[in-house]
Amino acid sequence: MLTEASGEHLLEVQSVPALANRAVEPTAPPGRFQTLAVAHATARKAVRSGVILGLVVGLYVLVQAFSYTSTYKTSAERAKLASTLTSGGLSPLVGPARQVQTVAGYTAWKCLMALTIIGAIWGLLTATKLLRGEEDSGRWELMLAGLTTRRRAALQAVLGLGAGWGALLAVASAITVAVGRASAISISAPSMLFFSLSVASSAAMFLGIGALTSQLAASRRQAAALAAAALGVSFALRMAGDSSPALGWLRWASPLGWVEELRPLTSPQPLALGLIAAFSLSLLAGSVYLAGVRDLAASVLPAKPGSRPRTALLSGPVGLAMRLTRATTLAWLVGIATMAWLLGSETKVAVKALQDSSSVQKALSRLSGTSGQAKVYLGLSFVIVALLISLLAIGHLTAARKEESSGRLDHLLVAPISRSVWLASRLLLACAVVTMAGVMAGVVAWLGTGHGHDGIGLSSMADGGLNTAPPAICLIGFGALAIGFVPRWTSLVLYGVLAWSFLVELVGGLGLTSHWLLDTSVLHHMRAAPALAPNWTSGVAMIAVALTAGALGIAAFGRRDLAGD
Amino acid sequence: MTTAAIRTSGLTKRYGHVEVLKDLDLEVTEGEVLGYLGPNGAGKTTTIRLMLGLIGPTRGRAEIFGLDSHRQTVDAHRRLTYVPGEASLWPSLTGFETLHLLGRVRGEVDLPYRDELIGRFDLDPSKKVRAYSKGNRQKVVLIAGLMARPDLLILDEPTSGLDPLMEQAFRHCIHEAKERGQTVFLSSHILSEVEALCDRVGILRAGELVDIGTLADLRHLSALTVEATFDGSVPDLTRIPGVSAVEVEGRVVRCQVAGDVEPLLKVLAFSGVHELLSREPSLEELFLSHYGAGSGDEGVPSDAH
Repeated sequence: MLTEASGEHLLEVQSVPALANRAVEPTAPPGRFQTLAVAHATARKAVRSGVILGLVVGLYVLVQAFSYTSTYKTSAERAKLASTLTSGGLSPLVGPARQVQTVAGYTAWKCLMALTIIGAIWGLLTATKLLRGEEDSGRWELMLAGLTTRRRAALQAVLGLGAGWGALLAVASAITVAVGRASAISISAPSMLFFSLSVASSAAMFLGIGALTSQLAASRRQAAALAAAALGVSFALRMAGDSSPALGWLRWASPLGWVEELRPLTSPQPLALGLIAAFSLSLLAGSVYLAGVRDLAASVLPAKPGSRPRTALLSGPVGLAMRLTRATTLAWLVGIATMAWLLGSETKVAVKALQDSSSVQKALSRLSGTSGQAKVYLGLSFVIVALLISLLAIGHLTAARKEESSGRLDHLLVAPISRSVWLASRLLLACAVVTMAGVMAGVVAWLGTGHGHDGIGLSSMADGGLNTAPPAICLIGFGALAIGFVPRWTSLVLYGVLAWSFLVELVGGLGLTSHWLLDTSVLHHMRAAPALAPNWTSGVAMIAVALTAGALGIAAFGRRDLAGD
Repeated sequence: MTTAAIRTSGLTKRYGHVEVLKDLDLEVTEGEVLGYLGPNGAGKTTTIRLMLGLIGPTRGRAEIFGLDSHRQTVDAHRRLTYVPGEASLWPSLTGFETLHLLGRVRGEVDLPYRDELIGRFDLDPSKKVRAYSKGNRQKVVLIAGLMARPDLLILDEPTSGLDPLMEQAFRHCIHEAKERGQTVFLSSHILSEVEALCDRVGILRAGELVDIGTLADLRHLSALTVEATFDGSVPDLTRIPGVSAVEVEGRVVRCQVAGDVEPLLKVLAFSGVHELLSREPSLEELFLSHYGAGSGDEGVPSDAH
């Protein structure tokens, strides 16, 4: 950025290499590239992930729109679907169904909430990584050693995040507009643009929230946890707002609710965009201001510089792993328990809505001839719990890999501790945590139903919760393989397998795919318990796959060189 | 025959097409303090990581007290501690918690000595690692390495970030370790530190051990520095066998003499020398003589973690 002062252009920001060049060529004027070094460095990373998310958004919309037109071919079928979906029940989870007799209405209903949450997660992770993460790593300090200030550098980083957001919007818009032009879909370009903007607006708000928590917290992990808590509260408020008309005002207390109020593809209300833009810009401006007033590496929230030693867990690698992951794990468990409680407490409302619709009853009863509607509802809903538990498993695996890439693992491995023991203990800890989380989710959901509803027993709900553990354990096995063979790709492999599984489930749910394709999803091997009895044979098979993969991964880890980032 | 604390034979590490370490044959006897010198990217950290079994050799082997460091890693680690040059620690733990953890995983700790080291290095162990400066983080790993009183200390630029006072404290600890019969492998850039502490010095260049021996040996084999001040005109010394690096500054000539000094003395005797000084090379000069030209380090990937 160039500013005018005393008639001269002043160099605001110059990268470290640029300074080196300047020493060699003192007369070389700074280029635009050099003056925007921080913005450029941030944008380069943000744009990359923004493009990927844009592709995900576009692909998701493409799949949903075309699967609707191929599954519900006639107006009668679409009207029937509309009557069942608009009768409610599922709106707390995915938002209200409006005009689902049209491809536009169905696409909005099916895609908006899921993509809004994915966009929010991207926003908070990207902002905390590129702001607080850079500061934690010490790279930010190098940037600040250039001709800049903390506030100006933060402003540039925010501009870089904006470039990432722009890339997300551009790619998502390009694909969705192309999808809309297909004759079977026929949705106007402005409508698709507004839909893409709606999805991207949650990403913008959570970029802002992540930027702000990056200033408030003392580490990237803490910043991401605070932002994730904000997302959890936002989702809970929106869910409550959608659970009954009397609580509809709660949507206006939730950023995710504001996105819902945009109502893209059905009855657009662009006015809510003003609120979203004001909220996002205020947060980003606030974070730039705070970056200027706080010291480098300090936090706005008071951080204790020291504390009384707590050495109870610090006796070996397992204890250390428990100590290091307990705060994050606890936050995840609270999140999963909250979700399970909400699902459980929604049961009565959802079942009542479903009972009003004979077609839905018929469709859902295919899941189980004898199960009550409440079990069917919970069985379907628990896929969300399975997803969260899988994400918890991935968190444990990526944390283990981070120990290696950061060099901290060296301190343990130069002691008389074998690599296999270390990795095996981390894997077992992850398995124990996901199993506990699964059972806890089942029990909490049962409590949420009001100690049982429609004949739901505590043991069947606990089984339903436990049923979500094998896919996560299977992922842990794949994670061990990745750590053993392709350590630098661990994160990508795990999120890739989970994203693929989720996509296959989505497509498979519409009956569009082959059995072979469905089998590649780790989530597909999980029965919709408690609607159906858990298939423990399948669970054992998944655990066997995990054990084999884990053993191979541990063996490979024992033989390869330790690897950095 | 006594077992060497460290023995490597044909130890080689290759990354892609680049050989970072080439056929390293090295032996460090028990109770010895060996200095390991080399510029950035010469392969010092790679050597240490191979000795520790953190990476595997492309060929050759490294032994710690006769134990193959790649196949008997855990047993080898019972005899040693390692102090890295860049202390990457757990930011959420305090200094005391870190020392407690590293002591527990190591198994044996001399607790009174640990507390003494905390005092000597003037470390506040109640602070979180996140709040420590680079120097204080380095103190934590130094104390962790020393407090176990292992048979072998492997130190990779251990004093980086320490102030001169703390460096003195470190030297004192290494002298103590030597008196106790502990073996020390010290990789360092600080030549005065190596000169003050080490029995022998190994010099690594572009992955190859180019010289190893006691400082006296190295000096004896290396060129002598001669400085002569002449009364009148300065003779041409460049044609004398064994003379190199001739620098003329007015009536003063500085040069290096390798091997027999007689031909140079004969010329000087008939050239009106007013003053003649000669001295053995410092470690810095020895070091620079190996790297002065064409060290060939370019293109060698950093061996840092």
